[in-house]
This record gives sequence, structure tokens and C-alpha cells, in this order.
Amino acid sequence: MKKMLKSYEHSDLSLPAPASWRRRAMLVFLYKFFWRAILGVVIGLRYLGVKSNVPDGPVIYIANHNSHLDAISMMTVVPRHRLHLTHSVAAQDFFGNSFFRKWSMENLVNAVLISRKRGANDVDPIEFLDGLLRAGRSLILFPEGTRGVPGSMGDFKRGVGHLASRHPGIPVIPIYLDGLYRNLPKGRAMIVPFGGNLIMGEPMVFSDEDVDQITSQTQKAIENMAQQLRDSNRI
Amino acid sequence: MNKLIPMWGMSAEIQWVIFIILCILVASSVAWFILGKLKPSKLATELQVRTRSWWVMCACFIVTTLVHPLVTLLGLMYLSYALLREMYPLLNLDARERNTVLVCYATVPIQYGLAYFGMETLFLAFIPVFMFVFIPFLLVVRGETKGIVRSISLMPYSLIAWVYGMSHLALLFQLPEYPGFTAGPEGLLLYLIFLVGMNDVLQFAWGKTLGKRPVLPTVSPNKTWEGLIGGVLSITLIAVAMRFLTPLNIWQAALTGFVTAIAGFMGDAIASGMKRDIGIKNSGHAIPGHGGYLDRLDGFSAAAAPFFHLIFFFCYH
Repeated sequence: MKKMLKSYEHSDLSLPAPASWRRRAMLVFLYKFFWRAILGVVIGLRYLGVKSNVPDGPVIYIANHNSHLDAISMMTVVPRHRLHLTHSVAAQDFFGNSFFRKWSMENLVNAVLISRKRGANDVDPIEFLDGLLRAGRSLILFPEGTRGVPGSMGDFKRGVGHLASRHPGIPVIPIYLDGLYRNLPKGRAMIVPFGGNLIMGEPMVFSDEDVDQITSQTQKAIENMAQQLRDSNRI
Repeated sequence: MNKLIPMWGMSAEIQWVIFIILCILVASSVAWFILGKLKPSKLATELQVRTRSWWVMCACFIVTTLVHPLVTLLGLMYLSYALLREMYPLLNLDARERNTVLVCYATVPIQYGLAYFGMETLFLAFIPVFMFVFIPFLLVVRGETKGIVRSISLMPYSLIAWVYGMSHLALLFQLPEYPGFTAGPEGLLLYLIFLVGMNDVLQFAWGKTLGKRPVLPTVSPNKTWEGLIGGVLSITLIAVAMRFLTPLNIWQAALTGFVTAIAGFMGDAIASGMKRDIGIKNSGHAIPGHGGYLDRLDGFSAAAAPFFHLIFFFCYH
């Protein structure tokens, strides 16, 4: 572990600074009280399968992505003491182009911004996220890479496979988000409550699977959760 | 009628109905526990889950009813809101209807506010008269007419079904004093909750034990003639037995119980029909073993307005 930390110190990646106690308190208030109440009472989001014994330490959360509420709702199920160590991964080209968006993503959502289209002399985003995991941070990833078509899931990009295969000990927790796209669809600014479900699956641990296998297995896991939810309520 | 616990401030009638509810809950919890131990089956586990949910629901109903009229009102308001919020995602609304949904949500506090401040005439007219015209106009004013007949019918219907009906329970608190009647609006509210809750339970029980002939085979195959008739007759008797919670005499209580049971059954059947058309079993997952708010409260919201108007006609007219 010490060795790993050292190698990170020598690299030239700029990782987010450790959070002050003010920032920690603010994140706990925002996600464990404010957003938890809004999502639970006003929006009517049902939390299913959320366990309190999520493995302690770095974790990769992955979910399907249709709405800006996705990252927020996932932050509310992160254990309290890991909130400031959990970073959503957001797109530089969308969130980085206005000061307000960039500031609120980095400070209120605890996100890190990576570029989807890489120039010649940019840092490899995978290297950057790899450094975060090595430094003991958790990640919230949306492997589809974009919010896509409302209510449907696209194919996963291979980023999650790369990260999980480099860190065999770090569990991947699949989360299926159902119906949040109705509350805050792409291109709208106003939240209209329509309910929804957040379903947390069993942690997946990979040992020697390759990148493509991990990518397709995680995608399968979330597709299965979606299918199960639909089947459980069919006449 | 004597108080069970003389020190407590609440009236004797309320103490007795809480005692009766507790007895039923304890008895059924024990019964299903023993059934599950003797003959473990899917039905036994389902009954256990359902009874556990009934405990939570009864606790919520009783506490919100007795704490303060304002708390009762806020509780009912939240139920109306939750019902609307559960219905809309099932309807495949488009972007034009999205904004109208916000207006529909906004009618909830207005309607309950009218009940709380005792503006009865406006309360009775607000949704069926004013919103009945305003909401279709809001849909038309966007200029997109494709599929508009559907949304013009759906939106006012959702308000009448889930807001207008339920809000009559808040109006019970505006009824004037009735000489010799001490249970008050809290008693009337618990009376209705008890009747409709028992109606669902007893129709289920009679149907499971004796049921053979389905009453609405294409809508809800589990509802049988035996369950319906057994349920309605038992509720009529229970309504007479429990009339100490109301200012009604025997015949009025029997008629109120009869109408409440029939209305509860109709509300249930309407919701079943809607869910079958959409192709889902339950409208949500809020209450374990029961489904969503809509699955549980369909009977309540259909029975609430008829109940209020019967009480008003018999005693305050």
C-alpha cells in the first residue's frame, strides 16, 4: 500500500486535495440529509437492496445514466465516512465549459472532470482514475459515457473494464437507476417528481478476467437487474 | 362508554377503537406466525408481510389522526400527492404534459387549504368546476393537439380520483358540533379507515376461503362473488357495531357501512382495470406485500367522498 501511494506521489497527476472537515460536513449534510429527503419524500425514489455493509475502502460504483439526478442519487447511498472520498466521474466537455457548472460539480458533487475526447498531450483519463483508486478514493462511473436516449441503456465503454482489471481487489458495485430520467430529463432544468427506483446489486469482484469480459459482465449485471424489476411487476 | 385508561385525555370511543385495532393486529400476527411454523407456505409468508405492513399503516394512521388536525391534514395531503406521483409515470406522458403535471401537484395544497380554512363551497367546486376547465386549457394552449383527447381526460380524472376524494377526509374536521357526540372528527376518520381497511381484508379472506365464482374475471380474477357479498355483509355489521364512533343511529350506520364497502370495492376494481390496461401488477413498491400507495388507497379514496356526504346528509343536514 505504501509503495502504491509513493508511486502516486511521484506521478504528475493532480489529484483532488484531501477534504477539510467543513467540506466533509457539507457533503454529509447535502447527501445524507438534504438530497436524501428530497429524493425520498418529494421525488419518491425507492431504495432497494441498499446494504449498510458496503465493503470499506475504495469501491467502483457503476450505473446506467439518463439524468443529472443519477450521480446525486448514487452519492446518497455511499457510506457517510466515505462521502468525501467518493468522486463521480463527469465529462470535461459538458461540465467544464462554464464556471458555475465546473465549480458546482467539483465542490457540491465532489466530481472529477475528465475529457472524453483526448488531445495529444492530455493525461490519459484512465491513468488519472487509476491514480485516484490507488490513493484510496472510490469512483462513481457511468460506463455508457453519456445520458443517451431516455429510458434505454446503451453499450458500456471499456473504462470500467480497464480500471477493474488493474485493481483486482476493488469491488465493482452495479446500481440500476429506474425512472430518474422522468424527474429530470436531458435538456430540462426543472425537476418534476415522478418517482423511481434505485436498486443496488451485489458487489462484483474480478480476479483474472480481461477488460472486455469485465465490461460485458458488468453490463449484463445491470441489464439483469432491469429485467428483474420489469418481470417482478408483470401481470 | 367508559375510558379504558382514565388518565388519558383522548375520549373513551377513540381509546376503544385503538384497543380493537391492536387486538386484531396482535391476533393476526400470532395466527400467521403459528400458520407459518406449522405449514410453511407462500401464502403464510405473504400474510406475515402484509400484517407487518398493516402494523406500520395503522400506527401512521392513528398517530397522524390523533396528534393535531394540522398533522392529519398534512398526512392526507402527502397521501394525495403520493397517489398522483405514482399514477403519472404509468401514463407515458410527453414533454407537453410534464408542465401540466406540476399544476396538478399544486392543486393538492390548495384543495387541502380550502378544507382547513373551512371554505366548503369553494372546496366542493375548486377541482370539478375550476380545474376541470383550466387544466385542459393548459394542455391546449401549448398548441400541440396530437393525443390531446387522452391527456384532457386523464389529468382531471387523476385530480378527482386522488385529490378530490381523499380531501373530503380533511373536511370532516370542519363539521359543526353535534349534541351528545364526543368522538369528534378523529372518531369519524378512524371509523372510515377501519371500515375500508377491514373491507379489503374481509373480501380477501372470504374470497380465499369460500370464493368460487369470479365477479370480474377479465379485470381482477381474484375477486369473487363470495368475497364481495361476504365482505359487504360483514362490513355492514361491523359498521353497526362500531357506530359509537359516529353520531349515526343503527339504520344510518348500516347504510353507511354498506355504501362504504361497495364504494371501496368499486375503487379497487377501477384501479385493477387501469393497472391491467397498462400491464402491471402493482403501481409501486412503497408498502411491502401490498404494492404502492395506489394499490392500498384505491378503496379509501373512492369511499371517502360518499362517506362524508352520507354523514353530512344524516346528521348535519
